[in-house]
This record gives sequence, C-alpha cells and structure tokens, in this order.
Amino acid sequence: MNDFGIIFEAEFVRRIKSRAWLIGTILGAAMILFLSAAPAFFNRVVASSTHAVVLAGDPALVAAAKKLIAKDFDVSATEPLPAAPPTLADLNAHAHAAAIVTLARGPKGLDARVYAKDAGGFRTTRLRDELIPLNIAIATRTTAAAIAPLMEFTLDVESLDAKFHDEASANSARGFAYVLVILLYLAIILNCQGVMTSVAEEKTSRIAELLVATTSSAQLMAGKIAAAGATGTIQLLVWLGVGWATAAGIVNSVGGPSGGMHMSDTTPVGLGAIDLPTGVIVAFVIFFFLGFLQYATMYAAAASLISRTEDLGSVAGPLTLPVLGGFLLANWALTVPNATGVLIASQIPLFTPFVMFTRMAVVTVPLWQVILAIAINIVATIAIIWFAGRIYRVGLLMYGRPPKFSQILNVLRTS
Amino acid sequence: MLELTDVHRSFGSVAAVRGVTFAIASGATFGLLGPNGAGKTTTMRMILNILVPDRGTITWNGAPIDGALRRRFGYLPEERGIYGKLKVREQMAYFGKLHGLRDPLLDGRVAEWMERLEIGQYADRPCAELSKGNQQKVQVACAAMHEPELLILDEPFSGLDPVNAETLLRALRHLQTKGTTLVLSSHQMYQIEHLCTDFCIIAGGEVRVHGSLDQLRRQWPTRTVLVEPASSALRDVLERLGGAHARATQNGTLAYDVPQSIDLPALARELVAAGDLTRLERVEPSLSDIYLRAIGEAS
Repeated sequence: MNDFGIIFEAEFVRRIKSRAWLIGTILGAAMILFLSAAPAFFNRVVASSTHAVVLAGDPALVAAAKKLIAKDFDVSATEPLPAAPPTLADLNAHAHAAAIVTLARGPKGLDARVYAKDAGGFRTTRLRDELIPLNIAIATRTTAAAIAPLMEFTLDVESLDAKFHDEASANSARGFAYVLVILLYLAIILNCQGVMTSVAEEKTSRIAELLVATTSSAQLMAGKIAAAGATGTIQLLVWLGVGWATAAGIVNSVGGPSGGMHMSDTTPVGLGAIDLPTGVIVAFVIFFFLGFLQYATMYAAAASLISRTEDLGSVAGPLTLPVLGGFLLANWALTVPNATGVLIASQIPLFTPFVMFTRMAVVTVPLWQVILAIAINIVATIAIIWFAGRIYRVGLLMYGRPPKFSQILNVLRTS
Repeated sequence: MLELTDVHRSFGSVAAVRGVTFAIASGATFGLLGPNGAGKTTTMRMILNILVPDRGTITWNGAPIDGALRRRFGYLPEERGIYGKLKVREQMAYFGKLHGLRDPLLDGRVAEWMERLEIGQYADRPCAELSKGNQQKVQVACAAMHEPELLILDEPFSGLDPVNAETLLRALRHLQTKGTTLVLSSHQMYQIEHLCTDFCIIAGGEVRVHGSLDQLRRQWPTRTVLVEPASSALRDVLERLGGAHARATQNGTLAYDVPQSIDLPALARELVAAGDLTRLERVEPSLSDIYLRAIGEAS
C-alpha cells in the first residue's frame, strides 16, 4: 500500500468513527424521513381541523351544497339559517367543526359566508370552487346537478420538451431535483468542513510538519480529500436510500401507506413516482465529485493557513459564499432553467455542480452545454487542485496570524 | 553520506540560509548548533525536502533526496505534534506504515520501541491523556521505530526530565549501534557534546565552524590552565606569560587563558621553581565555549 492508501485508510477510519460524521448522517436521514412523512402527517392533522363544517341554510340549498363539497369536506351538522350571524359559542357547540357556512339565495346568485375559528387556515378557495355550480344554478335558475358535470373540465398540458411526458412528471422531477440539490449542498458543506477540520487539527497540533517530512503534501491532501469523499458518498447513499425507501412506501410507519412527499393535495412527487433519466443520476454523481473536489481542495488550502482553531471561522466564511451562491442559483434554475443568467452560471466552476445538475433534472439541456460545462470544470478542478495544493504545502509550515493574500502569493512565488 | 553544498534559502527578503556547506559521514552523530533564528530548522527542512533550496545541492550517498529516500529517514520537529485522539499504539502503527513497515515487522517494532522508551503501559490510551514527556517519547518512537538511515531530531531533549532524557539517550545510542546517522539540534550542550561525533555551528544562516570536537578545539586559540594554590608567586609566573589573561580566581584556584601553543612542561617547571605547586591542569575548551565564541563572531 502506498502513502495515499495508508493516509486514505487512516483518515477514512477516523472520519467514519467520528461523532460529527455519525451525527450528521443520522440527523440527515432523520431530516429526510421527517420531510417525507411530515406533509402526510400534517395533512391529516390539518385536515381534522379544517375539513369539518356545519352547513346552515335552506334545506334544499344545504343538501345541494353537501353533495358538491362531499369530496373535500365533512359536513358534521346541518341547521337552519340563523337569525343572527353565528358566534364562537355557536361554533364551539359543534365539536371538531372548523367553520359554520351559511348559505342563502341572493339577488345575483349564492350568498355564502364562512364563520371560521381560524380564518387564515380554513380552505376557503377550495370551498368556493366547489360551490360555484350552486352559484351558477341559482343565477341561471337551473340545478346544481346540471352544472356540476360542466365543472369537470380538464386542461391537459403537453410538454414540448421530450424529457417529461406531462406536467405531473415534470413537477415530480422538479421536486426531486430540489431534494437532490439540498443533499448536494449538505454533502459538500459537511464533508468539506470535515476536510477543513482535519487539516486544521493537524496544523494546530503541529503534526503536519512530521507528516510532510514523511510523505508528500500532495499525497497527504489527496488521501484526506479522497477519504472525505468516500465518507461523503456513503453519507449521500444513506440519505438517498432513506429517501427512496420512504417515498417508495417501504418506510411508512410514520406517514402510513400514503406517506411520501407531496407538493399539492393531488400531485405525489415521491421518488417512487419519478421516472428520472439515468443521465441525470450520472450527472449528479459527476457534479458531486467535481464540486466536492473543487471545494474540498479550497477548504484544505484555507485550513492550512491557520495556526489556531479559533481562526477557522475567518477562513471558512468566505468559502461558504460560493457554495451558498451555487445553492441559490440552483433554486433559480428550478424556476427558469433556460434564463440567460442560469445558462451562464451553469458554465461557471463552483456554480456548475449545482446549476447544471438542476437544469439537467428539469429540462433537456443541449449536449454541447453539458460537455462544455464538464470540460470547463475539469480544467478548473485541475487548476484549483494545483493552486490549492501549493498553498497547502506552504501553508502547513506557516505559523502566526493568518497571512494576507498578498503574503501567500509572495510565498508561493518563492517556494 | 549526507552532503550539503552551498545551500541557500530565502523567504521573501529574508535570507534564512546562506551558502551552508557540510558533510556528515554515514553512521555519524552530528550536532547542528546555533542560536534561535540561525537557520537550523530551515536547514533540517531542506535536508528532508520539506523545503526546496533556492540554490545548492543536498545529497544522500550521492543521490538527491526524493520521496522514496525520505521514507527511510526520520524526523522529530522542534514543534511537537501528535494526534490526541489516537491511541499510542495506533499512532505508532500509522507512522510505522508511512515509513514502510508492514506486519508482522510493524507489530514487533511498535512493541519493541514502546518497551525501549518505557511507554508500554500507555499503549491503549489516547495520546492526549499522556504527560508532555511521554507524548514526546511517542513522537520519538514514531520517528525512529523504522530504524532510519538518517534521523533528524530538533531539540529532542527539551521538555524531558533527567530520567526521560536518559531513556532517550539510551534509545539514540541503540540507533548509533544500528548505524543510523543522527543529526541533532539542541541547546543542551552537555548532552550534545557527549553524544555527537561531529558538529556544525551556524549563525545568521552561515556556517561558523564545522568539524569534530578535536578539530574545533584545535581551531580554538587559547587553553585554560588551572593552578593551585593561588599564591602571588605562582600568579606572577602566569602574569609574565605572553598572551595570558586572568580569569576568575575561585576557591583558591588560579585560572588563566593562555595561548594554545604554550609549552606546558616548561610552564610546569617555572611554576614548580616559583613555589609550592600542588595542581597544574590544562583544560580543553568545552563545546559551550566554542559555541559561544562562534556565535559571538557571528554577531
């Protein structure tokens, strides 16, 4: 085994046994479980408080309305139209009811009013949409039953992008891409900070000099970064596995059989519902490694410049900005994947891993753009590794206050 | 043989090492001495190829020092470093592997050096829990357990109590018997003087003197003579000597620096003739004397 292998093995074991990695992995998995199960859980909780209504009004009107809203609301009671507007005491008289809905025939149509405990939380729009046939029926003096079928009008959206055959799968891919971008962000941040901490520990404990006297700084840095990359990959696989299992319904003890991520009441976007092209998965892997390499070497170089762990924050702060920038640009790319700014950002190293991956997940990106982005990023990664490697080699032996950039350049010129 | 030829190294406008040239025979124990900031650590780092000289060459048995060669060297830097969370055994095994040791030799060497440096009882304890002295012994073990061809030790005795210093001395003597070339930097002149066979004193980045202790002494212009009793008759004889300078008289002993070329038998005869001489001793300059003089010249 050469030095790289020895360093990789030692670093890998140290990282995988470290409390930070274990806690990060477990918390990440827990967060995915929570995010997967929470919507279904909260839907049920919220439903119990917003679904039950009391209908008050003319019995014929109430009967017609009850039929129209039966799909989304439980009518817990019906009663005649009260002489005065209902009070909270009137509502509280009906256990579990979220609102009293009064119905009356008005001069221009249906006169409906909602008296809710929580006006903001009540699903007013849904109720209004479902009562529209009754409104039209009163205004046109026909029956709601005749109007209701006409309300079942569907507007099919056909995607001209060959990537997704309909709106639902495009939305699903968008949701999935969003989750993957968050994972990419977390994996890069957590593991690059792991590299940084490890380098800082060796620098501040003064063991770095002993190490570079034994092996080359390039092998030392490569071993560390590879180990962090390996543990990061394991972490990502655990998270993705938990996410997939949750969405596929394997883990459904929390969310039940209907558990999984939901963007709306009707559009499931769990992983199981997604037909994601292999190319996107390959792109995720490629861009994860490119991004990780770019950021990890920069973090390692930055950590080599500090002499005290207290100084870590001052060098880590500026490096967090491009990661955060990439994450925000990726969110922008989710909405407008072909905007000029997004196109440009998808070719800029440090941003590409986030932005190009997101674009590939939600639209068909011309192959030349993907190849160009990968080529630019490979060249940039080599340049970053070369430059960061030199800083790392020199920085490991520099002690005192964190040097200014001009001092670093000066030392690099003479090293 | 380790050879440094006209080695220069600057950091920006600061010339840390200027034209350093010396050679160390294989198996020799070499003392690299100098005040703080003299260029010792920079020189050591260049020998280990941690730093690259701006000019000049450094070779080991005629070959430039590369990664493969460096694996056969050992180094104890002045600033001690240790993985606090690693157990003593794990730490030694890690550095042993980096120096090319593999099982079962690795296990044997770990056990052997833990015993030699008397740290066996701490084998399964995290290094951070050890005392400073024991941590230092772990570091020495990490640097020496592969029995390197060349071992460079920067201030190996600093921070060690006399018992631990003696343990370290024994370990270094063991390496001497194995043929390891030792390069030591230390301010503890007594230990260095008795351990090393050759010396180099550098100051201001330049070599001031270089050679064995005998060679350095031959270059020393004076010797000290101690004469008893401290009578005026004997003092008069010493005062009449050309080039003699009185040093402090203590406990009834006259101490004079006299030229190296002095005819000691003739002086003895004169002193005997002058009075009741009970002691005449010629004292060779110590390494500390030579060091201080060399540093003085440098400044």
